[in-house]
Amino acid sequence: MTGVTLSRWTMSYFAAALVALMAAEAMMAVGYGFPAAAIAAPETLILVHVVAIGWLSLLMCGALLQFLPVLVAQPLYSNALALPALVSLVVGLAALILAFLQLDGRIAPAVPFFAIAAALLIAGFAFVLWNLARTMAAAPTMPLPARFVVVGLAGVTFTVVLGATFALVLGGTVDYGPLVALTTAGLPIHVVAGLGGWLTFTAMGVSYRLLAMFMLAPELEGATTKAALLLGAAALGMAIAGGILAVLLGGNPSLALLAALAMGVLALALYGADVLHLYRARRRRNIELNSRMAAYALVSLAASVVLTLLLLAIRRLGDHAAAVVFLIAFGWLSGLGLAQLYKIVAFLTWLECYGPVLGKGPTPRVQDLVVENRAGKWFLLYFIAVWAGAAALLAGLPLAFRFAAALLLVATVGIVAQLVRTRRLADVKDAARLPQGARPPRLLLSCQP
Amino acid sequence: MFIQTEATPDPKKLRFLPGCEVLAEGTLDLGNREQAGVSPLAERLFAIPGVTGVSLGRDSIVVARSDREWQHFKPAILGVIMEHFMSGAPVVRGKAAAPSSPANPATDGGRAEIIREALRQVIDPELGYNIVDLGLVYEVTVEDRGMTTVIMTTTTPGCPATNYLKAGAGEAAAAVEGVESVDVQLTYEPRWTPEMMSPEAKAHFGIRDGGGW
Repeated sequence: MTGVTLSRWTMSYFAAALVALMAAEAMMAVGYGFPAAAIAAPETLILVHVVAIGWLSLLMCGALLQFLPVLVAQPLYSNALALPALVSLVVGLAALILAFLQLDGRIAPAVPFFAIAAALLIAGFAFVLWNLARTMAAAPTMPLPARFVVVGLAGVTFTVVLGATFALVLGGTVDYGPLVALTTAGLPIHVVAGLGGWLTFTAMGVSYRLLAMFMLAPELEGATTKAALLLGAAALGMAIAGGILAVLLGGNPSLALLAALAMGVLALALYGADVLHLYRARRRRNIELNSRMAAYALVSLAASVVLTLLLLAIRRLGDHAAAVVFLIAFGWLSGLGLAQLYKIVAFLTWLECYGPVLGKGPTPRVQDLVVENRAGKWFLLYFIAVWAGAAALLAGLPLAFRFAAALLLVATVGIVAQLVRTRRLADVKDAARLPQGARPPRLLLSCQP
Repeated sequence: MFIQTEATPDPKKLRFLPGCEVLAEGTLDLGNREQAGVSPLAERLFAIPGVTGVSLGRDSIVVARSDREWQHFKPAILGVIMEHFMSGAPVVRGKAAAPSSPANPATDGGRAEIIREALRQVIDPELGYNIVDLGLVYEVTVEDRGMTTVIMTTTTPGCPATNYLKAGAGEAAAAVEGVESVDVQLTYEPRWTPEMMSPEAKAHFGIRDGGGW
């Protein structure tokens, strides 16, 4: 078996993603977008896409370029495709922001930014998808976690296609009736495909493997995992295919989305049972910060499911959908992402710096690159801020939400500072920092000798 | 001569496989120094502080220990077993020496164990512990003219550290005096489990013995 190598541009994806996260938190803190603006206002759309594309999608793409090869035990198809993909996604997001500003009347509509954004984002995601699909196609086996990623990649495909359709319609490039109808009524489908299909499903797949790996727990391939995969895939199929069909036939996608929700909740319950089993069956009793913080993210996911069902029961889901989305985006996806980043950055930095001198003399451990006690405080502040922010949205307190967002930004800056210290080997003892032959890593990209 | 060691369900007992016949038939359980008088090999093993019992079988020797950790006296046990079989002395008094056929009596000379010791400076970066005590090194063999083969695994297939671990193991083994060439082979048969860790590594991670996954 060939060993998997370092993905050269993964660190660059992570850096761009973290900049977008901090920018989004700053926007929320100063009152840009919802709840100060309407949920469908251009400001809110800018905020949402900075989070969904700039932060979460770049994070997920960077992580997959490094860890999908681990899931399928097959080297990445192409390291070269990663850079054009990153550039396309970042420039595409910038074009999308400009397009929303055009929609708001803040800049002149002379340049067709919606069409440019659609083309660039399709190209960027296509580069990533092609790279990952070719990697999986060459793999001798397809373990269950990788199958979750396959469903996630189907989710991003539909999300991008729907998003591009909306962009072309909003930009006036397309005025074909059914596509206009899809743009008018298809927003929930776009959100479900993106948050549920692409981001949540992929995070579930990767977490099955990473949690087992980091906690020395048995890898799960049993009936509950398979059922979670099938039910989740069916839920997404129902939401996307059923929803689009309902809109194109002139109906309302709500029924399809409700049916999808029922299956999705069951899939998440099975996933929850699996994850609980992983924590309980772990052989490593003293788990590291990333695994402890992942538990808070999983609690946020469970809380968002419970909240959704409660709001649905009292018929107030429409009024408080933003609180649910906030909890999923920042508690579950961002919480899990930041927690795993903390470990992944240290691990990749170790490989890059100390891997080449392994066996030639003593080397520090990955654990020597980080100071968990210091980072733990920032993570705790982060999750407290997320839960406070969700509560503020539910209670309809915009000022309290802005305060929570400011805390979120402070906590994120604290976590990012830890990642930079890790990258700079700032916490490694002087005597062990650079053994003979070791080279200090660059901040934004990985160089493999 | 290459002596393999195997964990047993009881963490206080370790099985040593010298690669040759120990007893022609049956087993011999020796629980103290007095009983060990029937076997020159067992007598010498009991002289090592920490050894509390010796069981001789057809092709293995099971040594029981006190509370002393294996790492402190396992090399001494390996040395006694090797010297005994190299000398041609009988395993049991009054009987002819067992017809030993150690792997490479002329060339190994305990070098495999020295190489294992050298491999301890190679750490698995994720777990932060050396690859030998993690149980990632399945076999070390030294053949004529110092040609060494290390068969090892990683904690998970496709691990990004795989190539570095292989190269690091090769570097560490090659640094041992008398080793002329090193071939590091990667295998996932059997798949690694935490049960393969040494008792010390298990204690470090807070892993209880038994139960597999």
